[in-house]
Amino acid sequence: MNKTIGFFLAGIVGGVASGMFGIGGGIVLVPIFGLFLAFDQHKAQGTSLVALIPPTGLLAVIAYARAGYVYWITGALLIPGLFFGGILGAKIAKNIEPRRMRQVFAVLLFLLGAWQVFGTWKR
Amino acid sequence: MTLITLLIGLCAGILVGLLGIGGGVVLAPAMVHLLHLDQHAAQGTSLFVLLPPIGIGALLEYRKKGDVDFRAGILCAIGMLLGGYVGGLVAVPMPTVRLTQLFGVFLMISALLLWGKASKPARPAQPAISHEGHA
Repeated sequence: MNKTIGFFLAGIVGGVASGMFGIGGGIVLVPIFGLFLAFDQHKAQGTSLVALIPPTGLLAVIAYARAGYVYWITGALLIPGLFFGGILGAKIAKNIEPRRMRQVFAVLLFLLGAWQVFGTWKR
Repeated sequence: MTLITLLIGLCAGILVGLLGIGGGVVLAPAMVHLLHLDQHAAQGTSLFVLLPPIGIGALLEYRKKGDVDFRAGILCAIGMLLGGYVGGLVAVPMPTVRLTQLFGVFLMISALLLWGKASKPARPAQPAISHEGHA
């Protein structure tokens, strides 16, 4: 029962991040599964992908589209790459110990974030 | 431009499978910096891209090894639908510069979370009530 509520709350947190930042939410879900719900890393990642299958961002897309913030053609062009890249990435993930790779990605993400923040000061 | 867009999709897709994430966390900045959309448009477009089940191929790969908890995932999805709407309502009226900064801070926090989890050593002793073994 506790876990049920935990999963639901994890979804709410992931969802708010998803709507606010235009992301899938997995970047938040995976650490939550790992840190608070005691999933191992592979299981956290696999389960996060389940949560990303239904169109959970639908209500958020509607909110953005009403304001004219959705570029449909650009979006459609991104979809095939994501699908095939996803299969490729999963095949790689199954065969490696992903700790080092996650650390590399964490550093990239941090730099990307810093770039976003400091980039706004030049405008 | 079309080619760049297709390549961005492929790169983000590899992360989808590799890390079990949606890929929006790199899609949105890539659209801002490489395709020159503004932050709101990048986020809205990213959300649209994530509507189809782009991760299903990756999911099936994880399932082969039993690394999936469907019940947990579905419960999460319900929460995300609701949370996503709230997040959208908060972000849409926000000034673009403010949203860009907030996104950057969010990325840095995500990076720390990812790193924190990554550097934690795997616990050798599991409790006896562990889940069923993998095939």
